[in-house]
Amino acid sequence: MRQKDIAFIESGNSLYTLDRFTELPVLRAQSNTTGMQRENISTPDNNTLSVFPYGPSSGGMVESVYFDILTQGERIQKVSYDAGYKNRSIKLWGLSMSEALLRIERMNGVHSAAYSSMFCNICESGIGLDVPEEIGYLRVAMMEAERISSHLFVASRLTGGASQNIAHMNILLLREELLRTFASVFGHRYFFGVNRIGGIGRPVDIKGFQKKVRQISDEYKEIFRTLMDSRVFIDRLDKSAIIRGENSSGPTMRGAGIKKDGRNSHRYYEDLEFQTITADGGDALARFIVRSGEIQESAGIIEQVLSHAENLKMNISVNHEGSAFMSGGYMETPSGDASMIIKTESGKLVAMGFRSPSILNMEAFAESIGGNTFADFLFGYESLGIWICEMGDLL
Amino acid sequence: MKAWILRSFKKGIITSKFPKGKNESASPWSTLPIYTKGRQDPYCPVDAIAEGRVDANRCISCGLCYPEYEPSTDIHGSVSSVSVKALKKSIRLYQIDVGTCGACNVEIMTIASPQYDIARLGISFTNTPRQADALLVSGILTENMREPLKRAYEAMAEPRIVFAVGACAISGSLLGKAVSEALRVDVTVPGCPPDPFTIIDAVQKARGFK
Ligand code: SF4
Ligand code: SF4
Repeated sequence: MRQKDIAFIESGNSLYTLDRFTELPVLRAQSNTTGMQRENISTPDNNTLSVFPYGPSSGGMVESVYFDILTQGERIQKVSYDAGYKNRSIKLWGLSMSEALLRIERMNGVHSAAYSSMFCNICESGIGLDVPEEIGYLRVAMMEAERISSHLFVASRLTGGASQNIAHMNILLLREELLRTFASVFGHRYFFGVNRIGGIGRPVDIKGFQKKVRQISDEYKEIFRTLMDSRVFIDRLDKSAIIRGENSSGPTMRGAGIKKDGRNSHRYYEDLEFQTITADGGDALARFIVRSGEIQESAGIIEQVLSHAENLKMNISVNHEGSAFMSGGYMETPSGDASMIIKTESGKLVAMGFRSPSILNMEAFAESIGGNTFADFLFGYESLGIWICEMGDLL
Repeated sequence: MKAWILRSFKKGIITSKFPKGKNESASPWSTLPIYTKGRQDPYCPVDAIAEGRVDANRCISCGLCYPEYEPSTDIHGSVSSVSVKALKKSIRLYQIDVGTCGACNVEIMTIASPQYDIARLGISFTNTPRQADALLVSGILTENMREPLKRAYEAMAEPRIVFAVGACAISGSLLGKAVSEALRVDVTVPGCPPDPFTIIDAVQKARGFK
């Protein structure tokens, strides 16, 4: 299926949807759903307007994606995009939950801890499995560590784009230190293979992990303060790609002053203390401030959860063959909330609905960039932390 | 001067000694798993295991063969069928994503981090295939990226070395087709995703350093 702006599946005569930020124990039937809006450029009869094709493969971008950028002089009038070039059309239909998990983990490899934790949690609720509390805590630790690494990546793109070379190199350095720590603690720099339905796939010894994360987040805090004193950097981000309203996700939405975060209502985060960081303005600067604040909050969450989870043994003896259920859930990934509904019969997936945060954020970006200068295009894009990989189809 | 800038000087030399010295780190499960105990043929979702050995080109680093198999932590798993000595002085890389999960892209970019400092080895990235000596292709071969991949390859000047970076590009992994269905591949860089040291090691092999 192609992703829409909500996760849903059709079953019988009903359409089952999943509300954002509300993990519904019973899925709701609903009569219709809004389709993803796509804008087409209509070229006006004004010969000062030009269309610049950009992509799908370009050295300036992290992933393959195509844009048509309509400009008038230096100013962008309109942008349309095609995120379908690298669409992998990942097939889940007919697979067991464990087989599907391997693919979900690779829906967005950079946010694999969030995706795999979401999927495991959905399956475990569907099967009715009681997973030990420490496993939930470990998943939170992985997801928050992943958030720090993802936010550092966005910060490195922004500082690189703004020629803040010393800050840029130091952020890259911190991120690499963090990834090496993931490798030694979790056995993989992107957490592949750690989550399993019902538990974890290999023993994890988290001793010293929170200390290392705290050191990295403290060092980042100082870099952030320096950047906030830099007029050149601030000017580059200020008023770039202004996004307002709820039709965006994660730090992008919170950068528009909206205090919503999927973690506030997720059961994994119950009893954990952290602030929902927001900022005003809705521009690249606001998103940068939100991400930077979230790095500190994530370090605090990791300290809280890891006091409950040490030296975890692998725990994967779960028999879910033959399960038949419909279950849904969501997770706050570093880019925003992803949500999913699945239906299984005889332990195999027979229907699924999925929505990634990048579906919303890409649309918000395309709408926001009009009026900005051409030079701001890549910069505005990078500030949203969009991942094209997660915008593809799940079949 | 700001304290953090001073501290970054104080951290001293953080750049790797690799490839002259040993790699300082490795992402364990991104390296080849080796047999340790118990059954020689545990379940592998991509049938990479046969007679107690793992096919590096297929392995997706999932760890499902644990505890019978454990990571070797050997980052030298790449194989190059070329050895282009003319590129010993410098090599320019162009990265193209034909259907990734994002992690291969980011790991390729990571080799520009200070810990690796590829400039010291004469390795750099270019934003256009016209200036590239090598194409680093990652991801499964998606239909819509066939044409852009072909165009990028044709835009390059000889010797235009093609690297398949990661299990998706090498074998199609769990998700699709291998890049070799569209282009001749000169260098395979295994792992899901490959460790940054494995990527650097592969580039050095293609330049005839090993
Ligand atoms: S890590 Fe996964 S893909 Fe690789 S050999 Fe083991 S089971 Fe197979
Ligand atoms: S090889 Fe692995 S890390 Fe690389 S794109 Fe494929 S799934 Fe992602």
